[in-house]
Amino acid sequence: MQLTGNHVVEASPAKVWALLMDTDTLARIVPGVTKLEKIDDTTFKSTLGVKLGPVSAAFNGNLQMENVMEEKGFTLKIQQNSKVGNASAAIEISLTPLEETKTAIAFNGDVKLSGMLATMGQRLIGGVANTLSKQFFSNMEKELLP
Amino acid sequence: MSTTHGLIGKSVKRVEDRRFITGHGKYTDDIILPGQTYASFVRSPYAHAKILSVDTNAAASMPGVVAIFTGADVENVNGVPCGWQVNFKNGHHMKEPKHPLLVADKAKHVGDAIAIVIAESQAEAVDAAEAIVVEYEELPAIVDASKAVEDGAPQVHDSAPNNICFDWALGNPIEEVDAAIAASAHVTTLDFVNQRLVPNAIEPRAYNASYDQYNDKYTLYTSTQNPHLIRLLMCAFVLGIPEHRVRVVGPDVGGGFGSKIFHYTEEALLTWCTHKLRRPVKWTSTRSESFLLDAHGRDHITKADMGFDASGNITALRVKTYANLGAYLSTFASCVPSYLHGTLLQGLYTTPKINIDLVAVFTNTTAVDAYRGAGRPEATYLLERLLDLAAHEMNMDPAELRFKNFIPPFDGVTQPGYQTQVALQYDSGNYHGVLEKGLAMLGYEDFRKAQKEAANNGKLLGVGFSTYIEACGIAPSAVVGSLGARAGLYEVGHVRVQPSGKISVYTGAHSHGQGHETTFAQVVADKLGLPMEDVEIVHGDSEAVAFGMGTYGSRSLAVGGSAIIKSLEKVIEKGKKIAAHKFEANPEDVDFVEGRFVVKGTHHSAPFSDIALRAYVPHHYPAGLEPGLDFSSFYDPANFTYPFGCHIAVVEVDKETGKVQLTRFVAVDDVGNIINPMIVEGQIHGGVVQGVGQALFEGAEYDENGQLTNGSYMDYCMPRADDFPMIETASQVTPCPHNPLGVKGAGEAGCIGSTPAVVNAVIDALWSGGHKVKDIRMPLTSERVWRAMQQ
Repeated sequence: MQLTGNHVVEASPAKVWALLMDTDTLARIVPGVTKLEKIDDTTFKSTLGVKLGPVSAAFNGNLQMENVMEEKGFTLKIQQNSKVGNASAAIEISLTPLEETKTAIAFNGDVKLSGMLATMGQRLIGGVANTLSKQFFSNMEKELLP
Repeated sequence: MSTTHGLIGKSVKRVEDRRFITGHGKYTDDIILPGQTYASFVRSPYAHAKILSVDTNAAASMPGVVAIFTGADVENVNGVPCGWQVNFKNGHHMKEPKHPLLVADKAKHVGDAIAIVIAESQAEAVDAAEAIVVEYEELPAIVDASKAVEDGAPQVHDSAPNNICFDWALGNPIEEVDAAIAASAHVTTLDFVNQRLVPNAIEPRAYNASYDQYNDKYTLYTSTQNPHLIRLLMCAFVLGIPEHRVRVVGPDVGGGFGSKIFHYTEEALLTWCTHKLRRPVKWTSTRSESFLLDAHGRDHITKADMGFDASGNITALRVKTYANLGAYLSTFASCVPSYLHGTLLQGLYTTPKINIDLVAVFTNTTAVDAYRGAGRPEATYLLERLLDLAAHEMNMDPAELRFKNFIPPFDGVTQPGYQTQVALQYDSGNYHGVLEKGLAMLGYEDFRKAQKEAANNGKLLGVGFSTYIEACGIAPSAVVGSLGARAGLYEVGHVRVQPSGKISVYTGAHSHGQGHETTFAQVVADKLGLPMEDVEIVHGDSEAVAFGMGTYGSRSLAVGGSAIIKSLEKVIEKGKKIAAHKFEANPEDVDFVEGRFVVKGTHHSAPFSDIALRAYVPHHYPAGLEPGLDFSSFYDPANFTYPFGCHIAVVEVDKETGKVQLTRFVAVDDVGNIINPMIVEGQIHGGVVQGVGQALFEGAEYDENGQLTNGSYMDYCMPRADDFPMIETASQVTPCPHNPLGVKGAGEAGCIGSTPAVVNAVIDALWSGGHKVKDIRMPLTSERVWRAMQQ
């Protein structure tokens, strides 16, 4: 299932980049994250909870950043396991400066669900992903407030 | 033998319904044994994945956990077998990769079992199963049967190159068929999918296995359609236990539709576990597991060409089919697309040249096996869609086209059976009769007028036909043996006359909704001139019933009923000897009339109960005659039975939304003689609803990763009562010439005939509006019909 979207935030790419690279902030703004632990510069261990229609799942897994280009973007590889099935994704995230204090953040990627998650949640994942990304950007905007 | 009692042919109310509708049925899950433990499974979330590690440490120490077993523990145990061997065209045996009780190395479909947890309670078993950590390496999956055979496709089993289980052909030589097609004045071609269906029995599969170590005796309660067959397969092929040490009971079973014929891994695994643990182990499938694990039905990808001469006579039929078997060979998976499908491609027509070329394919999906109709619905769908489409293309009337091509009537007694081009010999038939009756019930001419008028007013009405035949009463053992069946398909009927003259009947057939306790009792009471209350039908317990092959393929009455008749004949013959002794007459001079043994031409007679008592208290008794009145018989049918019929659907299609409304459904079925018309009508209704379900609502959808994306009732659309008009049924009776009751079987007819009638009706509605659509993929959702109209 393909995930795409973009959002414009009132901040410079440098500021947005700094925020995305900060583990504690990231843990606050990514919806559902209950724990985010930095393993090395590009690898995190995570615990998160997501509700997909009738299925609530607590995920454990890894987040891995690849193709990191300072202030421009990276590919986020996600492997999350739960008791009701697993989710994996590779999402390209790119930052484009619009004006001095405006940045367009775009994401594009593929999500694969398995097990009960796929059986019960496939039809709902588009809507849920939409809601989660809205929450993410609104949380990010709060963090960026002066 | 007397048939004057008149119970045969009466709509007697079902005696079993009292316990079912008041909630007093006893199903496997209701059975709780002393020391009961409960099982839960760890199942693969991936359709295709290497299993790198299974960590059970945390789970093992959780509360209530009794034992955990993984694939490594059962590596030396056989897998579950396939009951029918089909050979490749080149004569090699089909590929039979092991279907292990638990997988150790590689998961091959979502739901493949990796570990079993057994605990003191169901909740503790589920909790512990969730604590087992499995490391997977996901592999690319293959879902589509026609793509699975391509080079480079993911391989489900190393031992089956290109995922091919077998290839197979039947009928006339392909060169002859090709030539006949090439020489035809018109050829109708259809590329279509007969989609995959989920069986959806209301009772999920459940098993409860126990072992009595002091008597070395196993008992398996199982929601099955054939307890003896399960015992045979499990004992002989999987666990190697002598069958006299195993009792298999199929108590009340809440629907099967084929899905409970098969020997599932859980049955054998629980039996294996109970021996290890010396405690009973129970597992009841969740509904989500049912969607993923109960063998699915259909799933054919087909291209078919039907040739016609200039006046509309069928000249030839050529069929190429890819049948999806799923990840493992289920018990009868191999015979469904071959011997239960290819052999029915004659239909009701005199088609002189027929060839089917079949490839049976493994994919990373749930196993596919018999589902109500099993192969015959696929054959009927293929033929009947071609017939109606050809009528449109040639601008002929679809009913006329059928009349032109029907095999002429034959009774199978004074006229011989009809030899088809595809191996079978039909027993008796009057195919014109059912279509004529159907047209009259429909008011065909009036409908066509109304359809034209509606089209002028911008409304789309359509009528669709399906004149089907099926091979039931499964099956003559020698015939199916020569085709690869690994068991005989006779049936056992045991009649025990009690000293009081009451009757206990033990049948190897198994009732899971069909009403055997009523129908069989009607037959026995009728033949013995007794009230039905004096007859008890016992089934489903390998310890009570000597042997049996179970219920599927509309076989119970035709085969099981015939076995009971054989035993009744023996009872009456012996009764005559006892009565003759009493009246000092010759046994040849004794008749059995309406429940009494009568000496011909005299007033001497004795009721059945008197003779029964004499058999058990043989104080004044014929010399040399054994006491008792107790006979068991095996009946092996001489041929299949061939029910047939005509189904006509009328639909209205909404031009704006594509929504299909089924407005009439006419079903004229000829199932031979009828014992209980109400039960037959109920079977037809249920079958029609399932068949229409396939046409309009149902279908298992996999994504490209092998995930079943509609595995719940939120997304898998089942037919509902409010989707249907009252089904208009009628019977024609052409008795089966080769079994004593003259019955043909009614369990699958509705499901076989109805699907193409509905799809044909929608296509007809679209043609009436000028949309010359050849095919719409089932289920015919509003979206698909709407899109077809936009082309």
